[in-house]
Parts: sequence; C-alpha cells; structure tokens
Amino acid sequence: MACRSGKTSIQRVVFERLPAKQTFYLDTSTRINKYRFNSVIPLEIWDCPANVTLEQLSPLSQFSSIIFVIDIIDKFSGPVNKLVDWIAVFYAEKPDINVEVFAHKEDAITVDDYKLETFGNLQRLVVESLADALAPPTDDQNSPSYFENLQIPVSFHLTSVYNHSIYEAFSKTIHKLIEPLSYIEDLLNIFCANSQCAKAFLFDTNARLYVATDTSPVDSGTHNLCCDYVLMLNQLAPLYKYDLYSTSIDANKPEVLPTGRSPTRWASSSTRLKPDSTLTYWQVTPNMAVVTLLRTELFQTRRGLIEYNLVFLREGIQEILEVENLRQRGELTNVASPTSPEKDS
Amino acid sequence: MGKSGSGKTSMRSVIFSNNPASLTSRFGATIDFEQNHVRFLGDLILNLWDCGGQNAFMDSYLTTQRSTIFKDVGVLIYVLDVESRETEKDIHYYNEVLAAVAKESEGAGVFVLVHKMDLVRGNREVAFDRKKRELLERTKDIPITIFGTSIYDESLYKAWSRIVHTLIPNAAAFSKHLTTFANACSASEVIMFERTTFLVVATSKVQSSAVPVPPPAAEPSDLSLTMDDKRYERTSEIIKEFKYSCSRLREEFHSLELELPEFTAVLDELTKNTYILVVVHDPTIETAAIQMNIRLIRDKFEELQADTS
Ligand SMILES: Nc1nc2c(ncn2[C@@H]2O[C@H](COP(=O)(O)OP(=O)(O)OP(=O)(O)O)[C@@H](O)[C@H]2O)c(=O)[nH]1
Ligand SMILES: Nc1nc2c(ncn2[C@@H]2O[C@H](COP(=O)(O)OP(=O)(O)O)[C@@H](O)[C@H]2O)c(=O)[nH]1
Ligand SMILES: [Mg+2]
Repeated sequence: MACRSGKTSIQRVVFERLPAKQTFYLDTSTRINKYRFNSVIPLEIWDCPANVTLEQLSPLSQFSSIIFVIDIIDKFSGPVNKLVDWIAVFYAEKPDINVEVFAHKEDAITVDDYKLETFGNLQRLVVESLADALAPPTDDQNSPSYFENLQIPVSFHLTSVYNHSIYEAFSKTIHKLIEPLSYIEDLLNIFCANSQCAKAFLFDTNARLYVATDTSPVDSGTHNLCCDYVLMLNQLAPLYKYDLYSTSIDANKPEVLPTGRSPTRWASSSTRLKPDSTLTYWQVTPNMAVVTLLRTELFQTRRGLIEYNLVFLREGIQEILEVENLRQRGELTNVASPTSPEKDS
Repeated sequence: MGKSGSGKTSMRSVIFSNNPASLTSRFGATIDFEQNHVRFLGDLILNLWDCGGQNAFMDSYLTTQRSTIFKDVGVLIYVLDVESRETEKDIHYYNEVLAAVAKESEGAGVFVLVHKMDLVRGNREVAFDRKKRELLERTKDIPITIFGTSIYDESLYKAWSRIVHTLIPNAAAFSKHLTTFANACSASEVIMFERTTFLVVATSKVQSSAVPVPPPAAEPSDLSLTMDDKRYERTSEIIKEFKYSCSRLREEFHSLELELPEFTAVLDELTKNTYILVVVHDPTIETAAIQMNIRLIRDKFEELQADTS
C-alpha cells in the first residue's frame, strides 16, 4: 500500500521470474500496470502505484480480490488506516471481495519471536480499526451488531520475495478464485489415498504457484521443497535439448522433425532423497504438473500402480479444466468490460 | 589471494561448503590465512589457503611469511573485484604475489578471477574485456588465465571446474572412459561431477551417433554447438542449489531421473565421491536401462579413481 512496500517486486518475481536480488533496482511505479496470467483461470493483476485513487479503479465490482502489501519493517499505522478506508468503500460496492494482506519483507526481521509479535500487532490493528470504522452510528446501538454481520474475509500472510513465502501466499490467494477447486482436490485426495502418497500438489509450472493440493495440511518445508524441485526441473530442461535445425537448417527445405519425438510425451521425473523419501513430478497439462512426496520404498515397489493411477488423475484434471475453460469463455462473451479477477494494490 | 572484500572466503564457502550465496554477506574479514583440507575425488586432497587481504597481512605474506605462503603452491587464484578501481598499492601487491609464486613454486598455474561480475550495470562483456586488457598489460612474463565470476551465477563453477581440472592427474583417462560408456548406452553426453562441490571432473566427447536423425547439412560437431554452451556449469549450480534445498528439510539429495519430450537424463552416484549425468536423446531408451548401465561401470571407475593417488 505504502510507497516502496514491494508490490512491483512481488509481481515481477512471481510472474516474470525476476531474481529477488534485482528488485533492488526497481523504480517506484507511477501508473497502474496490468499483467495477464493464465493459469486454471485467467487472471489479470493490477500493480497499482501507492497514490492510486479509488476513482481510477472503478468500477470496483470488477475485482475479485484485493491484495494490500504492507511493509512490516516500516511504521504501518498509516497504511492500515488507508486499508480500512478502502475496505469500507469496496465492501459497499462488492460485498464478496476477498481481502488479502501481505505483511511484506518478513525476511528483514531475523528474530522469529519479534517477527510473529509484529505480525500479530498488524493483524490486531487491522481488525480493531475495521471494527471501529464500520461500527454503526451511536443512535443505532441497539440494533444487532452491524460489524458482526459483516462477512469480510480478511486474510493475513507473512511474505518476502527472498524466500518461498510469497509463493505460498499467492497460491492461497488464487485458491479462493478457482471455482472447481474442490473437484481437483477430490481427485488429488483419491490419488493420494490409492497411491499412499504423503502429499500431492498441482503446480502451475510457470509461476511455481500451486493451484490445488490434497486436503492433508500443507507443511511449509514440504511445499518449499516441491517448489524448488519444479524450479530445478524448469532450469535443467532447456540445457540439454539441442536444436540442430535452428543453426544449420536450409530455410528452403521442408522441416524434418526427429523421429519418435511424440509431442504427447508428457514430462516426468523422480528424485530420490535420503533417508527415505522420493519426490515425483508428472506433467498433466502443458503448463501444469502434479508433484508428490512419498516413501522411496513405496515408489520403488509400486511404481507401476502409481503411474497407472496417475493416468486417471491426469484425465480427470484435464476434463475439469476443459469445462472450466468453456465456462470462462462463455461468461466472457456475456460481459462487456474485461473481467479483472485480481487486483494488486 | 586478493584484496580484502574481493570475495575469496565467499567463493570458497559456496563451492566447498554447500552454502547459498546469500549467506556470504555475514562473513567478516579473514584474519591472516585460513587453511582447509578438502578431500576431492577420494585420494586427491586439496589444501586450500584463503589468505586475508588486508594490507598488513599482504605485507607479511610477502616478507616474513614468504616461504610459508608461496612454497609448494599448486595453483594461485588471485581474486579482484570487478567494480573496484585498483590503486597503485593494489597493483603493486598483485605483481609482487605473482612474482613470488613464480619464483618460489615454479610451474604453479595462475588464475585471475575478475569477481562480482553480477554488480556490473551495463554490458558485462565489455566491462570484463576492459579489465582483462588492463590485467594483461600489468602482467609481464607470467602466463595467466582470466575468468569473470560471480557467486550468484554459474560462472563461478566454470572457473573452479577449470582450475581443479588442472589438478586431476588422470582427467584424460576419465574422459576417454566416459566416451566409451556414452557409446555403449547411446547417450549423447555423459558428465562426471565431484560429489560435494559438484564441479565437473570430466565429460565425454559429444556423441553425434546418438542424434536420432542426422540432418543432412549438419556437421557432427554442430550438435555441441546447439546445446546450451553453459550447460556444464549451469548443471553444477542448479544441482548444488537443490541439494541445499533438500538439506534444509534434513533430506539429502541422492539421485534424479528425468524424461522430457526433448531428452532423457539420469543423475546418479558413480563412485563414492562422484556423480554421473547421462543424457540421452533417443526416446526409446528407458531410464531403467541407463541406471543399470551405470551400476555396471561403478567398479571400473572406482578402480580408475584409485589410480589418482
Ligand atoms: N555482489 C556480489 N557480492 C559478492 C560476491 N562474492 C562475494 N560478495 C560479497 O563480498 C563481501 C566480502 O566477501 P568475503 O568473501 O568476505 O571477502 P574476502 O576476499 O574473503 O575478504 P578478506 O577475507 O578480508 O580478504 C561479502 O559481503 C560477500 O557477500 C559476488 O560475486 N557478487
Ligand atoms: N528485505 C526485503 N526487501 C524487499 C522485499 N520485496 C521488495 N523489497 C525491496 O523494497 C523496495 C521497493 O520495492 P518495489 O517493488 O519497487 O515497491 P512498490 O513501490 O510497492 O512497487 C525495493 O528496494 C525492493 O528490493 C522483500 O521481500 N524483502
Ligand atoms: Mg575472507
């Protein structure tokens, strides 16, 4: 929200793979930057400068979520006041808005207790200010509490572009916008149960956000490792593919493709860790992959069964996404203005 | 060796201690010199001397400690910060150190690393070439090899792989056997890494016969031209980073297999202290077959390595 809180850094690091260190050189944004990203659902993310006005964003009903980035190593009472004012206005126009508060630059606080205390203070301040701001006028005091009836979901996340926290927070933000999420979760649950996997994530391999996971609790360590696994594979993939045809092809000759390179060969990988875990990766759509963590012994003895189960999981996910795609396209033609499900402030 | 703050201790920690680059900002200046023995390829032991670069230390290396520091040197690595403007004093030290090594340890290889290349704003190649020219002008009579490096990218692995390569006595034998192995399992390329540093020990010659359809116009040598030419050092860097991710979860990286539309690869233990990466472009070859082939050559390579000593 406040100037230099890290909004542009987040957008560039997560969606454009800018190395976190390079965010140091970013200039202060002066205008709204819209960024489109197609995952399970098409997203449009608006990176707004700190001095953006509500008029510039109207109509507010076009947004599904609003992300407030607050620098927690700076004084945050000013930004919190602005946040509260904005929520009130948004709420009037779009009562089902999702509000996500990113308490950003958490890497800069190295003492864990102090970090959690600061994070707690921020949450308390936001909740209390919201209660005050939205309290009914005094003569209305006997009516049922106005605030308690407000169902504004405000979620808080500690984030930093220097570690995985920003990916986890952004993933959770997106989950709220994916309508068929529960169907995908069901499929992942069934897969985990049948294959005895400890954990399965469906990753968007470009942004390294997970768009769904089975319902067992997400342990940050496991999430980070899976995220790094996807990163490693993304980085290795381009190194050893060769492109004979680009350097020495005669443009007039018809293109000869290497035989046996079926474009339908889905990428897959497994990594054995010691003492006894294995990570697996199966591509299920051109830009999505299922990443699982399971016991090595299990993978080695039941690999055939697991890969058999995966075929059904892949088909299931593809079907759900196709339906979602059709639905989205259908909707888009009905709405005059472009939908902008996400906004980053 | 090199001026204080040029990055010597940082690079040592990234290459030899599996630390991420971001941790290096916590290091203080090295006082006097730190000596480390690192076991490299089993019986080959590297004796690393990290010499603190503050002027007082430099003076004493060149005078009272002269024989301790400069006798029996295998390789001198001199590190310079690309951004710093060298003063007369720095140039003086640089020349004195090179001369001392040449005199006290005849035949020692001399590598000069132009470091912190990531800090260059603007064209890195131009900045590097300028520095390189300057250095060559200053360095009379002593042959040097110059690399541009940064702890934040693969360039550090490239430089260090080349440096340790000069210290491995039977690197050529490894390379020959890797090439034979590549042929035997239809691999386009086989690469051998040292286990802890993940520096490249040896590579096979690229196998043109492993290309599924040789294009009419291409020479066999075109194959290597068209794969990424930073692939060896990039692989070192990427695996090293992933090993660090695993260690944070108290897991240890053990092996990897990968089947992509474009190629198949297996990365696995070869000997007690090496890893092997086999890259195959023929989609009919299964990872299980590659893994079995690796098992079959383990003993042979243990033997070869035993000859290192
Ligand atoms: N940007 C950048 N910084 C680096 C790089 N390598 C090292 N540094 C930083 O440079 C600073 C000094 O690094 P050291 O490794 O302690 O330097 P040193 O050469 O050992 O210094 P002395 O021990 O005093 O001789 C640290 O803050 C490192 O994080 C690099 O490649 N790029
Ligand atoms: N320590 C730390 N600094 C960050 C983080 N994210 C961004 N920054 C820094 O904060 C500054 C402002 O970032 P920017 O994205 O331009 O902020 P904006 O004005 O909100 O778009 C930059 O110098 C970034 O390097 C973070 O997670 N941790
Ligand atoms: Mg040092």
